[in-house]
Amino acid sequence: MNRNLSRLLFLLPLLISSLYAVKVGESAPDFQATDSNGNVHKLSLYRGKFVVLEWHNNGCPYTRKHYESGNMQRLQREWTAKGVTWFTIISSAPGQQGYVTAQEENDYLKQMKASPSAALLDPQGVLGRLYSAKTTPHMFVINPEGMLVYDGAIDDKATTDQADISTAKNYVSQALEEAMANKPVSIPTSRPYGCSVKYAL
Amino acid sequence: MNRFFICVLGIVLLGSAALLVPAKLGATQSPADEHVRLELVSERNALVPGEELLLGVRFILEDGWHTYWVNPGDSGEAPRIEWHLPRGFQPGAIQWPYPERLTTPAFTDYGYAHQVLLMVPVRLPAKLKEGEAEKVGAQVHFLICRDVCIPGQKQLELSLPVRSHAEASRARELFARARDRVPKPAPRNWKVSAASIGDEFILDLHIKGPSKVLQFFPLNAEQIENAASQHVNVIPGGVRLHLKKSNHLLKPIARLQGAIVVVDSERAYSVDIPVSQSIKNAHAPMAD
Repeated sequence: MNRNLSRLLFLLPLLISSLYAVKVGESAPDFQATDSNGNVHKLSLYRGKFVVLEWHNNGCPYTRKHYESGNMQRLQREWTAKGVTWFTIISSAPGQQGYVTAQEENDYLKQMKASPSAALLDPQGVLGRLYSAKTTPHMFVINPEGMLVYDGAIDDKATTDQADISTAKNYVSQALEEAMANKPVSIPTSRPYGCSVKYAL
Repeated sequence: MNRFFICVLGIVLLGSAALLVPAKLGATQSPADEHVRLELVSERNALVPGEELLLGVRFILEDGWHTYWVNPGDSGEAPRIEWHLPRGFQPGAIQWPYPERLTTPAFTDYGYAHQVLLMVPVRLPAKLKEGEAEKVGAQVHFLICRDVCIPGQKQLELSLPVRSHAEASRARELFARARDRVPKPAPRNWKVSAASIGDEFILDLHIKGPSKVLQFFPLNAEQIENAASQHVNVIPGGVRLHLKKSNHLLKPIARLQGAIVVVDSERAYSVDIPVSQSIKNAHAPMAD
């Protein structure tokens, strides 16, 4: 009985995530997570602000494309300056590529001059599964009413080549620009591209 | 990170150097080289003016590694080929062998483990100097993954003589096997229909043969949930395949395009099926 109960409790997040699969146009599921500085963030407390979720793995060549070119940091600076809350989320399980301790993540942020509002550590993959995060990067945009308005790739050039960034259409910026101007987001979903998120097996 | 940067810079420089010095191209080194070998092969041993020649880029992968189909599925990236061909040579599209489902608990990718030959037809010009040799080159951009992913680039080259008559090359078996795995047009006596019902696409296949082991591989990356199991059940005169719609699908789709693989006979057929939005059609009782 006890074993069954603990199994059920273990499976609960998975069940919830499959029942409440995220969908653009619907309410973004609430979560609570701890960042690399030990602060706890609850999504629903960010109502009134745009929130960007960026799934991250510092060893993935697609993530590296956007960090070693400075593209992701540029986006973080630009949008947080405009009042957007930007969460970088790391769902790599311990032992898997991209897994970092809080200290390692802080060192990485400093070294890369990255400035998300916070880097959320999700080694159990709870947030990742809640949002069905598939790849790194995989990007989500949530509007001030708490509704998901974008779910997909960072841009339209699904490569590891930094040279492609300058000619790519950035879906996240486009979604934020349109949503901030009270326009419907013209491309609300796309196939996220990158490495698979390295969840615990 | 610095070391990585230097490494990347090195690859870029080597890559550019390779572009400038075609003769040394095979020597380009990249981290992917440890896990995959690429070859450029020709189905026939000579270039015959005015004819079509089948070239192939072959991937030979270390155990545990894979590369990707034209639609890579939930993650990954399909290989790209940039041709460097003599004047008048016209390359066609890649003929993709059907892939396998590469499944981890949460995701499904479509790709190839062990080895794959990506065939490309090349139309040769009517005028070529017999007796001379021509060089065909291909720069291949690819991604290989195991638990981690490595992007790679390889410059390949092949020299072939121009002759009035060509024979099968030593690679012909590779081509024969790859050709077997490239989806064929669906047989004329197949009746295939698709309907959008709730969170599923229902594919009804009225086909001969008892096979229940079918897989659908979508050409479009955003139509179905790749990791969902594709449930098959028998209906009068055929089988019904259930495909879960992608979460990324916000609008009705007009067509489902892709490959249907009959797993037990290892045959693949390309299909392009209009999708009916009406529940009536799909549920209409079917005559035996």
